[in-house]
Amino acid sequence: MLKPDVKSQLKTIVGRERFLDAPEDILSYAYDAYVAECVPEAVIFPVNSEEVAHILALASKERIPVTARGAGTSLSGGAVPARQGLALCFTQMNKILQISTRDRYAIVQPGVVNGDLQKALGRERFFYPPDPASFTVSTIGGNVGENAGGPRCLKYGVTADYVMGLEVVLASGKIIRSGSRNVKDVSGYNLTSLFCGSEGTLGLVTEITLKIMPLPEAHRTILAIYDDLEKTANTVADIIGSGILPVALELMDKTVINVVEDATQLGLPREAEGMLLIEVDGITEAVEKEMNRIVAKTRNNGAIEVKQARTQAETDDLWKARRSTYSAFARLAPTCIVEDATVPVSNVPRMVGGIRAIADKHKVRIGILAHAGDGNMHPVISTDIRNKEEWARVQTATREIFELAVSLDGTLSGEHGIGLAKAEFLPLVTNADTREFMAALKKTVDPHGILNPGKFV
Amino acid sequence: MEAEEVHRCVKCGLCLVTCPVYQELREESASPRAKVQLIKHYAARDLPTSPHLSELVSRCLMCGSCTANCPSGVRHDSLFRRMRSDLIDDYGENWKKKVLYHFLTHAAQLHWASKFAAFGRNVVLEKIAQEVKIGNIPLKRLPKFNQKPFRDQIADVIEPLGKPRGRVLYFTGCGTNYIYADVGRATVQVLQRMGYRVGIPKDQVCCGLPLFIQGSVSKTKENILKNIALFTRPDIDAVIVDCATCGSALRHEYPAVLADLQTDTREALELSRKVKDIGEFIFDNVEHLQPFLKATASPTIVTYHSPCHLRNAQGVKTHVEQLLEALPPVDYIRSVDFDSCCGGGGTFFYDHPNLSQRIVAKKIENAKATGARLLATGCPGCRVNLAGNLEETDAIEVVHPIQVVELGLKV
Repeated sequence: MLKPDVKSQLKTIVGRERFLDAPEDILSYAYDAYVAECVPEAVIFPVNSEEVAHILALASKERIPVTARGAGTSLSGGAVPARQGLALCFTQMNKILQISTRDRYAIVQPGVVNGDLQKALGRERFFYPPDPASFTVSTIGGNVGENAGGPRCLKYGVTADYVMGLEVVLASGKIIRSGSRNVKDVSGYNLTSLFCGSEGTLGLVTEITLKIMPLPEAHRTILAIYDDLEKTANTVADIIGSGILPVALELMDKTVINVVEDATQLGLPREAEGMLLIEVDGITEAVEKEMNRIVAKTRNNGAIEVKQARTQAETDDLWKARRSTYSAFARLAPTCIVEDATVPVSNVPRMVGGIRAIADKHKVRIGILAHAGDGNMHPVISTDIRNKEEWARVQTATREIFELAVSLDGTLSGEHGIGLAKAEFLPLVTNADTREFMAALKKTVDPHGILNPGKFV
Repeated sequence: MEAEEVHRCVKCGLCLVTCPVYQELREESASPRAKVQLIKHYAARDLPTSPHLSELVSRCLMCGSCTANCPSGVRHDSLFRRMRSDLIDDYGENWKKKVLYHFLTHAAQLHWASKFAAFGRNVVLEKIAQEVKIGNIPLKRLPKFNQKPFRDQIADVIEPLGKPRGRVLYFTGCGTNYIYADVGRATVQVLQRMGYRVGIPKDQVCCGLPLFIQGSVSKTKENILKNIALFTRPDIDAVIVDCATCGSALRHEYPAVLADLQTDTREALELSRKVKDIGEFIFDNVEHLQPFLKATASPTIVTYHSPCHLRNAQGVKTHVEQLLEALPPVDYIRSVDFDSCCGGGGTFFYDHPNLSQRIVAKKIENAKATGARLLATGCPGCRVNLAGNLEETDAIEVVHPIQVVELGLKV
């Protein structure tokens, strides 16, 4: 329980109106987009690094758990305050501090929404590549915490590949800076990548310097339809293996196609076993050439139909099925879970077949959706967490999917993070010494374990 | 309270993007997702009602943007309405709102009150009203009431000019009847010019939406049944509504509310199929308007605010913009946030004046940035809120789209 004098000290730091502890208020900070919930004891909204430093120094002294939160869209429970204490919200630290197209960087506060940054950069004909599905609402701070990805990360890389520098408040309240505005920088340990994906367990990021890129000149999109799932997956491995790098290579299986068609009546081929949505971008001439090679590959691998978009409207039409998937599954049943196991791309065919077999074996409704080009599977599971018997089958199937991924040299999460969702599976991909090393790091910077306790470390 | 659909919310957070209140406050507790969470706990009986809960649930413009964009299909609007109803049962209603509801459900008194208010607003209060605010709107910037209700100014049936094309009934709404008679006159004139015979049932009453949106469902039943009886007729082509809110009531809420009250919905559904927003109706029949439009060398720059009750509740998303673009004397320029809520939200501007003020200030700034002289919007609530928050020196005027059409008619 937060002692009254601690509450009043917290109120002194940020002011009365940026501290909430009424039961009706704290209830809304118990969750993110994962199923588990835990109600914090209070919620606090700092507006600058100094306030964050004061809050953490006090929390360390009083041993109060602190869980950082942006928009609360984590799919792994990263923002759930599992040990209660304080939910520290960065939504009011939402300024874009600087955009330099000349030196190709942007400096932002953690509460800046990814989509708002994209809009600001778009006006300069630039963009920030990581594009998690939640980009219209999720914050850069949260994206850094979970090392978020997105469809176009196949070509461009994930959040960590774009974070050049950070300001971080440690549990002690000390403020450190890592990296810089330079593309090349080997001055000491690469602390910047250490914090990417650390889920707020090592320190709280209060300023981020991001690499930005000019918008590509052209893009082209196709949709390839197959009567066989194996042929669909083989095409993926073939394209990537041949050296072509599309900006997106998305796979949808028969379950996805039919669930989406039920919901949207887009006219998708219900009898198809698999579909690939493929987009390339870059210089106009190169885009044409690459797309011709890709179309040839889809046909060689047995695509029964290839639809090519010629206009922006046609491109939007092709993307519609992919973009409607989450929504279509979310409407099927009360609980919708998107898993995130990832394998090397040459193992995509075996992984896709394996997930299908697991779904059938446990009679669980799983649609296979994947950022297939980088092996990032997104099996979408539609269920009702209140149905205990079915939920148990879902959990068994989930475990088997992780085990399968690991057996195929894969990993637990491509872009959603470990959080609460996958903490128990961490031993599948790390040995005891590795976990001990993580714990030792954690102990050094957060000796009292106040930062996002109850998660993977 | 029955709230099975709260379990449909997967907490994805996409509703935060479109919620004007969240966008302004950046506090989760202001978001639709949080309200669903609160209602879930309330329905499970582990969160009692409280004044603070009431305050949190009321921080909603009922604009319907969350419902329109929810991947899981959660009907936030009806969920929030039922929650408000339960809160009213426990905490009663603010007395000032009670007075308003009383007038809205009793047309005769409203008639009388408007006459009194016209007198009061125009003479007695003029001197002392300079600094007083109603919600976020300075009293001096509130519109004047019509000297005489619109329906008392006009015949029950207006015959078409030229070749007759059809027959419509006109639901004038309280906004036009008591405040914006200019909208009523423009509507009648344009429809008449296009060849429609316009019937205006004299005994029509308030659509009732301002009442049941706050949760006062049972009070509105009488109004609903009366309007259904007057407007459900096989011999007409359409029921024309000039107010986005009334339109959403007649089109969608009547059948839903009657179903909730376990009353026969057949006539309500029949009426629902004929209801058309004036802008939508004119655009759908724009070929009958075109011969009567004048061409002009120097068009007026016009921008548009899309009312939530038209866009989200009625699904009329593009008609009015297309109509404005089709008018030769108009140079239409879209404002960047033309489709986000103005912050008025029924009585929201009254309950949360500061928040409402912050939302509307942005809208006005963006509308002014288009360089427009006219800001068109087909909702009297939005119009009062937008016009009420302009400065004396602003060169932009808020009008109804039908008035823009009227400006384009050949003399």
